Amino acid sequence: MAKPISLAVLFALLLGSNLACAETTVDADGFKQPLQNLQFNPGLDQREFERSTLEALDVYDPLESWNRRVYHFNYRFDEWVFLPIVDGYRYITPNIVETGISNFFSNLGDVPNLLNSALQLKGERAMKTTARLLFNTTIGVAGLWDPATLMGLPKQKEDFGQTLGYYGTPSGPYLILPLLGPSNLRDTGGLVVDFAAKKEVNWLNVAETSSDHPEITLLEVVDQRSTVNFRYGQLNSPFEYEKIRFFYHEARKLQIAE
Amino acid sequence: MPPVPRLLALFSLLALALPASAVDIDPSTYGYPISNALEATLATTPPELRPELPSDEDIDQDDYQVKLRPEREFELPENFWSVKKMRYRLAEQPGEAPLIFIIAGTGAHYASSTPEYLKRLFYGAGYHVVQLSSPTSYDFMASASRFATPGLTRDDADDLYRAMQAVRAQHPKLKVSDYHLTGYSLGALHAAFVSELDETRRSFNFKRVLLLNPPVNLYTSVNNLDRLVQTKVEGINSSTNFYELVLGKLTRYFQQKGYVDINDALLYDFQNSREKLSDEQMAMMIGAAFRFSSSDIAFTSDLINRRGLITPVEYPISEGTSLTPFFRRALQCDFECYMTEQLIPMWRARYDGGSQAQLIEQVSLYALSDYLKGSSKIAVMHNADDIILGSGDLGFLRQTFGERLTVYPLGGHCGNLNYRVNSDAMLEFFRG
Repeated sequence: MAKPISLAVLFALLLGSNLACAETTVDADGFKQPLQNLQFNPGLDQREFERSTLEALDVYDPLESWNRRVYHFNYRFDEWVFLPIVDGYRYITPNIVETGISNFFSNLGDVPNLLNSALQLKGERAMKTTARLLFNTTIGVAGLWDPATLMGLPKQKEDFGQTLGYYGTPSGPYLILPLLGPSNLRDTGGLVVDFAAKKEVNWLNVAETSSDHPEITLLEVVDQRSTVNFRYGQLNSPFEYEKIRFFYHEARKLQIAE
Repeated sequence: MPPVPRLLALFSLLALALPASAVDIDPSTYGYPISNALEATLATTPPELRPELPSDEDIDQDDYQVKLRPEREFELPENFWSVKKMRYRLAEQPGEAPLIFIIAGTGAHYASSTPEYLKRLFYGAGYHVVQLSSPTSYDFMASASRFATPGLTRDDADDLYRAMQAVRAQHPKLKVSDYHLTGYSLGALHAAFVSELDETRRSFNFKRVLLLNPPVNLYTSVNNLDRLVQTKVEGINSSTNFYELVLGKLTRYFQQKGYVDINDALLYDFQNSREKLSDEQMAMMIGAAFRFSSSDIAFTSDLINRRGLITPVEYPISEGTSLTPFFRRALQCDFECYMTEQLIPMWRARYDGGSQAQLIEQVSLYALSDYLKGSSKIAVMHNADDIILGSGDLGFLRQTFGERLTVYPLGGHCGNLNYRVNSDAMLEFFRG
């Protein structure tokens, strides 16, 4: 009677200790050897990082020399003009006002988001963005407050560049636009269309008023810069240009697919 | 002598003879939620377990620049205009306060996420904070390093020390009560060497020095990191490369979620989703980040010293010149390659030769073991599953630091720095 049980226990113990061995062995000084279970490629087949990265560097960029000059211009402009203005704006504006202004312009931005969701026949997204526009413009007092996000309707960006991409338009050559930053031919076209659409819809009369009051446009631009966290030089690499180019390319692909 | 006091005397003698042992945090009460070392390294702590920190609006801070190597103005091509002066960030308290220097890890900028986090933590606790880029970073190499060939830790610490002195000189009105020093990862190794240098130069008289996850044997760490990109990743074939694989997963993750939302918890949520990365894939991600650092180092060092290994000497470079061909070359160079092609030849030329083993001895924590044993102001926090350590490294730390070493059971490499238990321990150490 006792024998089978003890055998079973012994078996279980052996099995248990085997499992423990396969999982981790801890050194006498407490070191857990975190890399011990990784699988490595055989010595002559260790080029995956190089292969992937060299492939990723292939972004169509026939205007590279021009783009690089614009990149350096933008970098200097950002550092010497743009960021000082943004810092000053942040310093004099109370936080609550700042958030209000951001929400206000973000609400205006939902107009192209809605149009482009509709153009891509994304029904649910178009409905949600319509609801956002309605709630934020009414309850949110002309968009100064953003109750829609609190209700579980997060902002979903769609622009005309994405719409074009959605229907299969290739991105065309990479472009760095003066002051506006990384783009490509397709998205630059999209930018123009979205701008025109915003003007045509004239939501809350902002587009019309700002043609008489350029300070509104200036405020919009400053607000936009202050909400974007990117700083030149923060990637801290001599190859920042290449890295931004890759990120932009991939981020757009992701936004279009999503 | 009656037996009980005699026994007591014996015990107390024994206690004196044995070195004080390290503080090992009990895994059952530690509470850090990520048990996978690679995941912890990538995702760090879930947001709800991080300490409360002051926001940017509550911090009086600015970026400054100081000219440390005027000759670089003429040596560097024009598209390096932004790194000809050394930049750093200073956060000031309103009145007199202790000042803490933060040294960034491998290749990291002073404003990258970990130094920013440490700044918030210490600023919130009432310190002036100075953030410095790593001596292995592109900007520091170009603007502050005398030889622009990082890896000789003693020389790197010397460069850092000069930078710190210049920072202090630029703010004569700043009221400082005491100086403290900390660094994470490679920055922690630098902090140890800076502290030793300060014992003779005496500009700061650091009161306390905290080393967070330092490498012990630099060569072991470098080898571990180089190896990470050699992992056998499932799902890679001739039509899909590694980045496409990861980006594909990310796209599907966002599609399932219904919207794109990039925030602090992204990686953590991602790892709890269906698309989660395998260990090999995470290893590849971490390894790739370090390979980008090594290629930046190889390119910059070669260019500044005109070695002609990557950029041909006298190659005309202006703002419009494509650097992509040089990026392609530099990408093939891991840390080992940088060591053999650039670091060791320069070290041999400057210090009359020596073997690789001697170099490793000189640049690792071993070189300071006597100093570290006797210096009670220095403490170490490390993790039992840190991926930059090798066998025996933790043992060396235990012997050298005794009770000034705290070993956390989890956290990978620096993944638990922003866990509330760790941040409390850091502040407690500096409070003294």
